[in-house]
Amino acid sequence: MPIPEPAIRLSGVSKAFAGSQALDAVDFDCEAGSIHAILGENGAGKSTLIKILAGVLRPDTGEVRLGGRPVRFGSSAEAAAAGIVCVFQELSLIPDLTVAENISVADPPRRFGLIDGGAQRHRAKAVLARIGCDGLDPEMPVRDLSLSRRQMVEVAKALARDPKGLILDEATSALGAQDVETVYRLLADLRARGGSCLFISHRMHEVDRLCDRLSVFRNGRHVETFARGTRSAPEIVRMMIGRDIAAHFPPKPAPAPRAPHLKIDDLRWPPRLTGVDLALGRGEILGLGGLDGQGQKELPLALFGVLRGGSGRVTLGGRTGLPGSPAAARRPPARIALVPEDRKTEGPMLPMSIADNLLAASYDRVSREGIVSPAREAAAVREAIAHLRIKAARPSDAVATLSGGNQQKVVIARWLMTDPDVILLNDPTRGIDMGTKQEIYALMRVLADRGKAILFYSTDYAELIGCADRVAVMSDGRIAAELSGTALTEEALLGAALNIGPSRAPAEALA
Amino acid sequence: MTFSQIPPETRPVLIVSGFVLAILVLGTAYTLATAGTAPLLMPGYLLQQLQTGAFLGIVAAGMMMVIVLGHIDLSVPWTMTAAAMVASAVGGLWAIPAGLAVGLAAGLFNGLGVAVLRIPLMIFTLGVDSVLRGLMVAQTAGFAPQDRATGTMRLLAAGKVAGVPAAIFVWLAVSVAIAVLLRRTAFGREIYATGTSEAAAYLAGIRTRRVIVGAFAASGLCAALAGVLLAGFSAKAYQGMGTPFLLPAIAAVVIGGTRILGGQGRYAGTFAGVVLIVLLNSVLSIMQMPEAGRQVIYGRVILCMLLVHGRSARSPS
Repeated sequence: MPIPEPAIRLSGVSKAFAGSQALDAVDFDCEAGSIHAILGENGAGKSTLIKILAGVLRPDTGEVRLGGRPVRFGSSAEAAAAGIVCVFQELSLIPDLTVAENISVADPPRRFGLIDGGAQRHRAKAVLARIGCDGLDPEMPVRDLSLSRRQMVEVAKALARDPKGLILDEATSALGAQDVETVYRLLADLRARGGSCLFISHRMHEVDRLCDRLSVFRNGRHVETFARGTRSAPEIVRMMIGRDIAAHFPPKPAPAPRAPHLKIDDLRWPPRLTGVDLALGRGEILGLGGLDGQGQKELPLALFGVLRGGSGRVTLGGRTGLPGSPAAARRPPARIALVPEDRKTEGPMLPMSIADNLLAASYDRVSREGIVSPAREAAAVREAIAHLRIKAARPSDAVATLSGGNQQKVVIARWLMTDPDVILLNDPTRGIDMGTKQEIYALMRVLADRGKAILFYSTDYAELIGCADRVAVMSDGRIAAELSGTALTEEALLGAALNIGPSRAPAEALA
Repeated sequence: MTFSQIPPETRPVLIVSGFVLAILVLGTAYTLATAGTAPLLMPGYLLQQLQTGAFLGIVAAGMMMVIVLGHIDLSVPWTMTAAAMVASAVGGLWAIPAGLAVGLAAGLFNGLGVAVLRIPLMIFTLGVDSVLRGLMVAQTAGFAPQDRATGTMRLLAAGKVAGVPAAIFVWLAVSVAIAVLLRRTAFGREIYATGTSEAAAYLAGIRTRRVIVGAFAASGLCAALAGVLLAGFSAKAYQGMGTPFLLPAIAAVVIGGTRILGGQGRYAGTFAGVVLIVLLNSVLSIMQMPEAGRQVIYGRVILCMLLVHGRSARSPS
């Protein structure tokens, strides 16, 4: 009996872009009926690998075989026809179409050549029920959905095509804990039916729980493939970055009582915020956790003056009142900075130069009487690039040419230039590589030690536990619990988020 | 230095300049072959052409501010006409300030409508254009107004300083002002940022409404200045005098490499774009090309430039 060929096999695949070798003679196998993690820093070649499998790119050399049969995809439609479906990190939904239209966009059900709206709705409903999103209206335009709902629709869209090989590229990065569980269940189903899944994630605990085999990539090369549990997490990290890291998270200082710099009383912005009470001191990193969509994203926006029509009492450095706009928020006396959630549309201005992006919030600091001083501008840009170790060839290059992690560094550096007192971070490490994540963790601690007050929302529990002095768990638009010290564990976070187990009143947690 | 090493925003400027040279060479070859003269290389002729180009150049300078913002100002034709009519009706010392005030008012109105009321900009500026036309027709009963342009207007538009038409100096002054504004001021940089992504600019703490209103005000002022000068050039204002300027102004900005969706573009490109359009027109008129043929060639050049810019933007840098 012949040994069955793996479901997906790459042999000697190479791909180069304008001088840089994205993939270098990669041999890679993925068995049928398995979930296979692809690990590596940004720029390791993971994206190129999956784009080749998904038919978006063609390899320069080498061969791709599916179930023993050599294939050469000319387009993603051909790949989909062969059963390979990909959920990309950058969401690919069309905002003005409805959920149902998006799910069937590649192959809508037709009647007499015209799209059959009823069948389309029906198909969407069935798929949404499968992913536990029954509550989602198929007729809703995608524009009105939150980022996490969009990501679930993206998953639904992929499942609707009944894939044999499913590729998830950071597809759980914006999801809350509940949705992540649903995705796990769907992947287990797929595996049981003999399908295979390539799973790309920067979250080690997800990979650890979910995947049968792990493959590490570095600098376009396939470093090693091994079964789950045969390598320790530090070993894997070493393989990925090629160097040792002392600690995952910077050490926390001993807890100390702090006078609140920012005090929030009964902040409301119906229906998303329903009475938030919170205090944040200088030198403190306050984590914001909870299931997805409980108001964690709206709270920083409200403090930053973006949301209109909120009510409640906010005291900032002794002054009462919310800033009326981001322009007012960034200036004295408020001095607030916000690193937004969506890197594609809200953070960097991708086609603009690195220099202009860095200066976007501080033109007034490098100009006199409204005229920008070239010398001061160049000095400020140089300093920011050096300070955050942004890997850029020239400051005049477009931000779009940088990796995701470096783009995020540009946005952070932009705000550090304004010398803020309060820094609001809205899921700042989503979808960026391990090395940059660690740099951001270390930077947060340095900033806190310099007396900044930091509010840090993250969808990654490990990150909250490792970085924050204190974590406020949100539920239904208010703070359900505050955890700190030894009480700050993954179980306690999840328990508080789900409103089970012992939750403590904020006053007790502070004492 | 290969072409791909040149910064992307500088490439269109070089391409347009190359086209300008090509037009000069081809035009001269034609005139040498048919008449044995080379008017395109005579300073007097060129200055005269650039003098008529100055009005277009000033309109395009203002239009560029709005296009970098990702918007477009369709109220230019009647802003020009209204400014010219008001200026010549007021007369005396206050003629030019009154004309410019009309442009500023129209620009502020456009800016407020787009930035605060969030009315789709094409419709809004088109509406403003229509309102101005209605007002002017009501004012003049549809006839050419009898008022004459003032001496200062005539001097600025048709006079000469040291043998060079004064209008060219006005155009250069406006060019320097706009170039400095766009490259060297916080306001200018914020126009680019807002044009690239209004949401991202707003979240960076840029006062985007103020930026939008400011850019439209600048466009209105430029259109008004061009209108006032044009009235000085023709000695009086007349109905529809601004109408032929709208599309060439947009074309000059886009030919010069400014992205029509906003966020990218250099003023040098717009300047070269105006020169290109002016020279193309004069070469076509030397060739005594019939009007229909001119329109076809004119349109083709614009399409061709857009294709070239699109290609050069995609080449890896």
